[in-house]
Amino acid sequence: MHRAAVRAEGAASVQAACDEGATGRRRGSRSCPEQDQTLRFHEVSRSFGRGSRRRAVLCGLSLELPPGSAVYIGGSNGAGKTTLLRIAAGMLAPDEGEVTLGPLHPRRDWLRFHQRIGFASAGDRGLYARLSVRAHLDFWTAIALMSARERARAIRAALIGFGLAHLADRRADRLSQGQRQRLRLALAFVHKPQVVLLDEPRNSLDEDGLAMLGAAVGELLSRSGAVLWCAPLGERQPVDFDRTLRLEDGRLWPA
Amino acid sequence: MAGVSLLGRYLLALLATVKRDARIYATYRFRLASQLLGTLLTLTIFFFVAKLVRHDAVGDHASYYEFVVVGLLTMTILQEAMMLSQLVRMELFAGTFERVLVSPLGPVAGAIAMALFPVAFAVLFSGVMLALAAGVYGVPVNLAGVPLALVVAALGALAFAAIAVLFVAALIAFKSSIGATWALAGLGLTAGVYFPTRLFPGWIRWISQVQPLTPTVDLLRHLLLRAPSAQPVSLELVKLAGFAIVLMPLAATLLRGAVALSQRHGTIIEY
Repeated sequence: MHRAAVRAEGAASVQAACDEGATGRRRGSRSCPEQDQTLRFHEVSRSFGRGSRRRAVLCGLSLELPPGSAVYIGGSNGAGKTTLLRIAAGMLAPDEGEVTLGPLHPRRDWLRFHQRIGFASAGDRGLYARLSVRAHLDFWTAIALMSARERARAIRAALIGFGLAHLADRRADRLSQGQRQRLRLALAFVHKPQVVLLDEPRNSLDEDGLAMLGAAVGELLSRSGAVLWCAPLGERQPVDFDRTLRLEDGRLWPA
Repeated sequence: MAGVSLLGRYLLALLATVKRDARIYATYRFRLASQLLGTLLTLTIFFFVAKLVRHDAVGDHASYYEFVVVGLLTMTILQEAMMLSQLVRMELFAGTFERVLVSPLGPVAGAIAMALFPVAFAVLFSGVMLALAAGVYGVPVNLAGVPLALVVAALGALAFAAIAVLFVAALIAFKSSIGATWALAGLGLTAGVYFPTRLFPGWIRWISQVQPLTPTVDLLRHLLLRAPSAQPVSLELVKLAGFAIVLMPLAATLLRGAVALSQRHGTIIEY
């Protein structure tokens, strides 16, 4: 398994020519070969608010997740973990710097970038109350632009993998919190992304649910995917991480 | 070949959105019955209001009731289309728009797809409305004109959906689509939905010529009631198609810009 290379406080990571190309925004992210699947944060900064209320959340943060790596980022409430993940998912634009997945940029290469990213946000939102578990997976795999054949297989695997097969026809508003969380996680993994971004994924999961999440991450890593897991420090996690980091003052530090 | 396959997947994604919305609609068991009852009551109100209006008030070929029924069914389509910004707001509340936002389909196509079910349903429902008006209140519908009327309704619906997407862009950029309500009322007023535009002063009549509801309602009256159209039918058709063709790409471009703007401001998932 590859080790996650992290640049915190200016420490440089060792990557080949691709890394140099990606680190230097001026060089252009398309200079990397297609097979490069490393998720890179290049000196990402992000602030919120205006004028005197402007608050810096991320300050020139750099991080790399090569294929096969699992990185855990902890931090206190409001440290910027969710902002970091939203930028990685292409939901938010950084003020400075950029995120790339190999040669792909979230805006310029929308389709290919987002086909390769899975994202589970924190909390329990993001489900249609009156849609069944299967209908959620069906809809999501369709807007993930999977082929009909891939979709049927992926939905079946997700239902089994997250222990949802017996709940397939149950509406989301009739699920328990833990079952809802399993569905939310299944949606992050179902389209076989290259990188999965998880924001406090343990939310309401029981031991079985945690084991299923661990197995899904294991399967992702076994096919050279990568996972970025953000949660408050101190929680027991069902995954052996290559690197554990702490987000504080807008920067990453070894935990 | 890959391009064709990708186009097919986009179409399947749009269909999946329609399927999703149809499934959600179907879970509300009494919604359709409630809508039918509401429609019947509206038709009844205007049936009696029409008795107060001189029979030839809207021209030689149609009574006021026939005139206003077609106006009402066109407004039904416009109203459903204009609900799009409310639907997107509800998705923002529920956190489900986030999922569309990180999907390969993307927020622009995702938002446009969200208009498909309500607008298609409204077109079908307006057919039911017309059937009720014909069956219960004896509106003489020209059945031969129905196929072309469906085409006109679809073109109009596309143009209305484009206007609705403009309001979604405003919602995403400014977290408010406050103009949607008065735009709906304004379009209805100036298009001659409830009374003929010749009653208006000249400058309002000019406004009625530069919006898509006017040719839609005019063509539908012509096709369904054999009422004379205000302008040559071919010109009205070209005008309507022009609105649809110009407005949708414009709206999509503005929505794309609004998404980019709110991603920069960090407000994309705020509501």
